[in-house]
Amino acid sequence: MKTESTFKYVLRLSLTLLIITGVVAGLLAGVNAITAPRIAAAKAEKTTKALSAVIPDADTAKQMEGFSDESGIVTAVYTSDSAYAVQVAPNGFDNAITMMVGVDKEGKVLGISVISHTETAGLGAVAAAQNAKGEAFRGQFVGQGGQLAVTKDGGTIDALTGATITSRAVTTGVNAAIACVANLG
Amino acid sequence: MNFKKQFHEGLLTKNPVLVQLLGMCSVLAITTSLFNGIGMGLSVTIILICSNVLISALRKVIPSQIRIAAYIVIIAGFVTIVDLMLQAFVPALSESLGVFIPLIVVNCIILGRAEAFASKNGVLASAVDGLCQGIGYTVALCLMCIIRELLGAGTFGGGILNGGEGIRIISEGIPAMHMVMPVGGFLTLGFVIAGSQWLMKRMEQKKKEKEAAEV
Amino acid sequence: MSAYVQSLLGILLSAILTENFILVKFYGICPFMGVSKKTDTAIGMGMAVTFVMAIASAATWAVNNYILVPLNLQYMQTVAFILVIASIVQVVEMFLKKAIPSLYQALGIYLPLITTNCAVLGAALVNVQKDYDFLQSVVFGTCGGLGFTLAIVLFASVRERADKSSCPESFKGFPIALISAGLLALSFMGFSGLKIF
Repeated sequence: MKTESTFKYVLRLSLTLLIITGVVAGLLAGVNAITAPRIAAAKAEKTTKALSAVIPDADTAKQMEGFSDESGIVTAVYTSDSAYAVQVAPNGFDNAITMMVGVDKEGKVLGISVISHTETAGLGAVAAAQNAKGEAFRGQFVGQGGQLAVTKDGGTIDALTGATITSRAVTTGVNAAIACVANLG
Repeated sequence: MNFKKQFHEGLLTKNPVLVQLLGMCSVLAITTSLFNGIGMGLSVTIILICSNVLISALRKVIPSQIRIAAYIVIIAGFVTIVDLMLQAFVPALSESLGVFIPLIVVNCIILGRAEAFASKNGVLASAVDGLCQGIGYTVALCLMCIIRELLGAGTFGGGILNGGEGIRIISEGIPAMHMVMPVGGFLTLGFVIAGSQWLMKRMEQKKKEKEAAEV
Repeated sequence: MSAYVQSLLGILLSAILTENFILVKFYGICPFMGVSKKTDTAIGMGMAVTFVMAIASAATWAVNNYILVPLNLQYMQTVAFILVIASIVQVVEMFLKKAIPSLYQALGIYLPLITTNCAVLGAALVNVQKDYDFLQSVVFGTCGGLGFTLAIVLFASVRERADKSSCPESFKGFPIALISAGLLALSFMGFSGLKIF
């Protein structure tokens, strides 16, 4: 080791690190090849599930190209024979809450389904929960139209206990979906 | 092979969370339901065992000047594998832990064990060390989860039992929701560490008394 | 004011106050607990972290958008980011040593600790998750660092006093520090929901 020149020494260090990184990268590529289709399938399944939860004829739903969105939180719009489903991602307490909002041709909300969120368990997470409390919260939006707000902001939506920010975020998402559908005409 | 001693150290006297105070970001952040705690604990344990084994196996190959960089790459590799696997097979857990899964890379427990144990010991001993430290971490996480979930949401086993709802122990409206907020994390960890210090001191004292009595 | 400037100000506000890296998001707890016994060391650590986070946010953004995304290698994100951060820390250390020795003297000892600081990697990952553009990423990184500094300096000044007062034997040291941090986090909760724009 002592007889090695500095150049050779540096080269040996870099090569070792390069080999390790190369092997790790190769391994990851392999794992990715196995998991990528499953991750994609899981995501697609979630979207279809959310679609069928918010509009009656989800099997005819197709993703629309080109929609106008002033709020900047609409991520996709689906259209079926009888209704629209708008995927929105308003900012919740933690990160964005991705949810699907079904809106009929008159601009009234048909239903809400949360696709993914990172809200606090037991508080904000109730907005997405498949239980009586969660359904009661989401049910408040059904049949509504126009501009909605939580009671604290002078509206009609009762916020979840201890989760005003989450409730506001959901309301913002629903408003954006309604506005987006109104713009579609 | 002193498996018993290693286990005792991992769980109690050298518990990574309660005594060594390592990896506290995840301990504070994700301990809001038992599901999170078990999931995170298992993920870290698996990564810890794998990285300990590999680093121990390579300990004579990796030049010491670049060892930290090499360890980080190896750890990051395992973390990504676990991350991808969770996304593919347990999407609910991956969502609920979010960015804290990739952040396992910088969890001091893993790099700490690599540097302090795996780089100096054989493969089998390192694997056992990874397992014991991982179990110690998981137990501490679950303890935090149980306390915070009970006091904050009034339930036990949220995310797993009773269809994800958890078993309700304290009726709604009474629990202090602050316990599942950031504040609760700091407070609970403070009390849990204080409790474990008190317990250990008691145990030591009893041991001393016993020895004194025997003499 | 244009919507873009508003979004930048929104990021600034949330990174420092409403989503404070330490007290709300729990990124970077280890240095927060470890280097907060004295106010001056806390300031040094805070500045070093802010500096590295600003550079790291810019660099990881570039790596992600010009290398990983075009090559479809997003799954290498964690590995690539941590390597970039480790190299940045190394380069910053060498540069400071040569160019600004006085600053190196002040920050030098904290730099190696920063590689394994969750806050730096956390900021890089959140930038990608939230789809921030270059400027937004840099603002987020810098302000996240400032939020870190704010929290650690406040905490250090609380801790200096707490260490002098008496408390139950078992609570001495870390437990009482954690409880003080909890109270600090409680006061930061007052900012949640704060929205100017």
